[in-house]
Amino acid sequence: MSTRRLPSALERTAGRAGRLRAGAVLSALAATALLLGACSSSSSTSSSSSTTGAATLQSLQSWPTSSVSLQETGSSLLYPLFNLWTAYTQKQWPNVQISTASTGSGTGISQAAASTVAIGASDAYLSTAQTTQYPGLLNVPLAISAQQVNYNVPGLTGHLKLDGKTLSAIYQGTITNWNDPAIAALNPGVTLPNLKIVTIHRSDSSGDTFLFTSFLSATDPTGWGKTGGIGYGTTVAWPPVAGAVAAQGNGGMVTACAANPGCVAYIGVSYIDQATAKGLGYAALENKSGNFELPTTDAVAAEAAGFATKTPANGAVSMIYGSDPNGYPIVNYEYAILQTSQPNSTTAQAVKAFLAWALDPSGGNSPAYLDQVHFVALPSTVTQISVDLLAKLH
Amino acid sequence: MTRTIVGTGGRGDSPLPPVLDADETDEPESAPAFIESDRFGALAPEAPRPEELPPGSAASSAVFGPGGPRGPGGPEGPGGEGGPAVPAGEGARRGAWWRAERLMPRVMHGVAFIPLVALAFIVVALLIKALPAIRVNGFKFFTTSVWNQGNFYAPLTSTHGVPHPPGADYGALDLIVGTVESSFIALALAIPIGVGTALIVVEKLPQRLSNGVGFFLEVLAGIPSVIFGLWGYLTFGPWLSHHLAPIANRIPDVPVLRFFRGPTGGGQGLLTTSLILTLMILPILAATTRDLLRQVPRPTVEGAVALGMTDSESMRTVTLRWIRSGVIGASVLGLGRALGETMAVAMVSGVILGRTAPTIWSSMNTIAAAIVTQLDAAFTDASGFAVRTLAELAIVLFAITLVANIGARMLVRKVSGTALPVGRGV
Amino acid sequence: MVVVSASAEAPGARRAPVTAAQLHLTRRRFWNRAVWAGCVLALALVVTPVVWIVAGILAKALPHWHWGTLTTTSTANGGGLLNAVVGTFVIVGGVAVIGGAIGICGGIHLAEYTAEGKGGILRGASEVLSGVPSIVMGYVGYLALVVGLFKWGFSLAAALVVLSILVIPYITKSTEVAIRNVPTAYREGAEALGMRSGYALRKVVLRPALPGIATGVIVAMAIALGETAPLLYTAEWSNTLPKAQLTHSPVGYLTYPVYQVVNTTQPSVVQWAYSAALLLIVLVILLIVVARVIVSRTQRHAPERQHAAR
Repeated sequence: MSTRRLPSALERTAGRAGRLRAGAVLSALAATALLLGACSSSSSTSSSSSTTGAATLQSLQSWPTSSVSLQETGSSLLYPLFNLWTAYTQKQWPNVQISTASTGSGTGISQAAASTVAIGASDAYLSTAQTTQYPGLLNVPLAISAQQVNYNVPGLTGHLKLDGKTLSAIYQGTITNWNDPAIAALNPGVTLPNLKIVTIHRSDSSGDTFLFTSFLSATDPTGWGKTGGIGYGTTVAWPPVAGAVAAQGNGGMVTACAANPGCVAYIGVSYIDQATAKGLGYAALENKSGNFELPTTDAVAAEAAGFATKTPANGAVSMIYGSDPNGYPIVNYEYAILQTSQPNSTTAQAVKAFLAWALDPSGGNSPAYLDQVHFVALPSTVTQISVDLLAKLH
Repeated sequence: MTRTIVGTGGRGDSPLPPVLDADETDEPESAPAFIESDRFGALAPEAPRPEELPPGSAASSAVFGPGGPRGPGGPEGPGGEGGPAVPAGEGARRGAWWRAERLMPRVMHGVAFIPLVALAFIVVALLIKALPAIRVNGFKFFTTSVWNQGNFYAPLTSTHGVPHPPGADYGALDLIVGTVESSFIALALAIPIGVGTALIVVEKLPQRLSNGVGFFLEVLAGIPSVIFGLWGYLTFGPWLSHHLAPIANRIPDVPVLRFFRGPTGGGQGLLTTSLILTLMILPILAATTRDLLRQVPRPTVEGAVALGMTDSESMRTVTLRWIRSGVIGASVLGLGRALGETMAVAMVSGVILGRTAPTIWSSMNTIAAAIVTQLDAAFTDASGFAVRTLAELAIVLFAITLVANIGARMLVRKVSGTALPVGRGV
Repeated sequence: MVVVSASAEAPGARRAPVTAAQLHLTRRRFWNRAVWAGCVLALALVVTPVVWIVAGILAKALPHWHWGTLTTTSTANGGGLLNAVVGTFVIVGGVAVIGGAIGICGGIHLAEYTAEGKGGILRGASEVLSGVPSIVMGYVGYLALVVGLFKWGFSLAAALVVLSILVIPYITKSTEVAIRNVPTAYREGAEALGMRSGYALRKVVLRPALPGIATGVIVAMAIALGETAPLLYTAEWSNTLPKAQLTHSPVGYLTYPVYQVVNTTQPSVVQWAYSAALLLIVLVILLIVVARVIVSRTQRHAPERQHAAR
């Protein structure tokens, strides 16, 4: 088709070399036209993939040269890591300004859905209802994180052993004291004080609530998780328990637990150091195989490894209470919630570049960053899933 | 601005005075009539006519004018003569419509109606958003305490044609109770403290000190709500829970007192919320009462003293009766402000959902704080039902504050109509 | 003006037995002192929290204060406050201009073209509007301006519209009162001189009313300064300086850092919040002082003007 439009000068080029050259120019022009036609964006052609069309981590990491301002909001669990990332990228690529905020996964999802922010951070994947309502919304796995159960019981050394059923009873108000026989049965030889349990939950729409209630639903399928029961979600109707306290954000959870002796709280692993610094202990949780695991990087990685091949193309999978015998039971992907169609192509390019850098094992997914927040890197199969999802942005 | 940045009613975070209808003040005709007709009239200091009040103080006392000064001499008092209505058409007959003298007034009148348009827009927008939720939530919205957004991870269902996640169930009783109880506790504390402060300031303190107290009141009124929240969350709440814990733990476990006993926790709860609300409405009450006290006619009080009454007796029988309707008006306006208060409550109440506070130390929630903390959560509900329920909540809050404000006007009229100042016709 | 403390005996005392009257008097004196003691306590309860709050903020913010806070912008973990200060100034200034213009027009309309106490629907609307909680306005603003009808996104425009509507009733009220307080004599003189109504309004009536109007605008600025809830949902937050675009560009403001304190455990963020609180207190006190200066200056000049008018 383009041959008919070729300037006559090229046709008149003499000799075989000239024809070969003409052919090369022709195919290049054709490929460019095809690519330009395929992509609605008119940004620099380096944002598109190589001529084969498959996106790679490297190809996505082409940063725009003009000044871009991106907003990120959402998960307080991902927030510390996101700040470590942006601290580096804003030094390297100062024309891309990224504002972060810690507002809870629910806000991340809703603001991304409303297109008021470019990147929403969430520990929870999108529900079917949300993907139906917002067809262009994606959840892109960025890293693997976990959640621990902290408690404020002065005088205890070591780590209490707890399981999902006990926690479900605590949060429903059937177990009210730390020296309850159910807890004592899990911790033989430990002297538990006579201290009222103060349950703390999140007041905002939280991915941590999603993870914790998923765990409770999975471990207590006839109680917490029964149909019509409390169930799981970024917000749930917490059963009224005497003395219960609500806190905002993971930071608020740490402060509230430290201020309320006898508290039990579910907090993201990126805050485990702050919690320990305030004197809070964290529990060893029982996994599906009956082993009590602490949220160490090994246990988290073991759990996630079991799901590496089970992660679907849209990235949404629950890694709670998996089958690995050494796996920690509350593990999740951290998601970036993105609209496929961004306000303009430069924003799309910036988002892709930033998130691709974050996914890169030599960039954001390297231990230099992840170890600081006790996260685990994505397995390469999942990284590819994320890359493919990212490539859809325009 | 001795009295301007003081007091407000019915508005969420504003430190500012309520805007009252000018006709609030045509109520106690009793007061001025008393001055003009009683046999002490000759001795009464001539009530300064409005035009003789220095513009500055008139402006200030009026901006703030809550139930309107009861006595004479208020800027909106009797004989309150606003400028004569200058006929708009006067200059309009000359010249074409685009000339400044015809266009400007029209533009001005048009612009003046923007608040009306905005109010109508707000009401209509809320109603449109909320009607489906009102239909689905029904009466149990006001009689149950539950906040269940439903299961987002299951397919949407619908009731009465309105889509919502399965299991969605909303009941705002705990929010309404929390709002009302924290505001009323705050009011019950603020009235005696405010009136007491005003009495001291007017009767006993020298001019400079009373100016100083006035300055403190203005600062108290001007402190942003989030700063109250910051102080309550980090300083006052923990202080309260730490220092009052020994007392709270010793209270006997009997029916009524049970409300005051219990673990004091980290300081976020009903008590802290009520005390902070008290602080926020104090300036309204104290400054209004101070202005009202300054307008109590001296001869009446002097008469009571001449009869041998002590200060407190003359205050009780004369002064407080005189200012009663004004104080009531100011209190209801303070109540209006407390009802709508958002940020400080969101930070110190513990924003718990689904139950009313069993003790004074427990976390609670109010309608305004629930809206601000649940707004983002509501948007995760893809069916939009949670957003509609929040709109319904907003309407409930709007209605409650409206009733409080209208109640202020009616109460003021009613009370002043029947209360006769001592000495009338004697 | 002096209320003489009652030390005289009650009139009926002459007829009653002395001892009973004395007891009665003692009890009355006791109650008198008790009531005054209660009033002193009340005064203490008013002054103490103000001192506690302000001193607390000064004590926590000043030791770590550095002037860099005013010249650098915010970071994820606190940082500076330049973006918040500039944002606050832009928002408060914008509200003063927009809300001021509309409110003054409303006040003039009510004062000059409606009779006292009437003016029905406009006055009623103004009053009801002043009673609407700010979160309700913020909510409607979010639904209508940010994501709904206008789809401005988080923006300065949405923030200015919502906050202006919030403060208009106050400005309207103070303008109306200030204009009504201008003595009739002025208007009569202007009419006697044959001035047209619009001209008279501008030149004769508005001038003396200006201090009252200015005070009203300052009060509105103080409200806008302290608002958070509506701004959370219209301007959201930005770590960078406000851009010169009215829509789709979030803005920072000083009350946001203070709110973040419930959300965090990092000392640097708590410090950041206290610095913002310090700046807010300073600005509020500044506004109060300015308004007091305006009032005192007009009171100083007022007697002269009144003598001249009479």
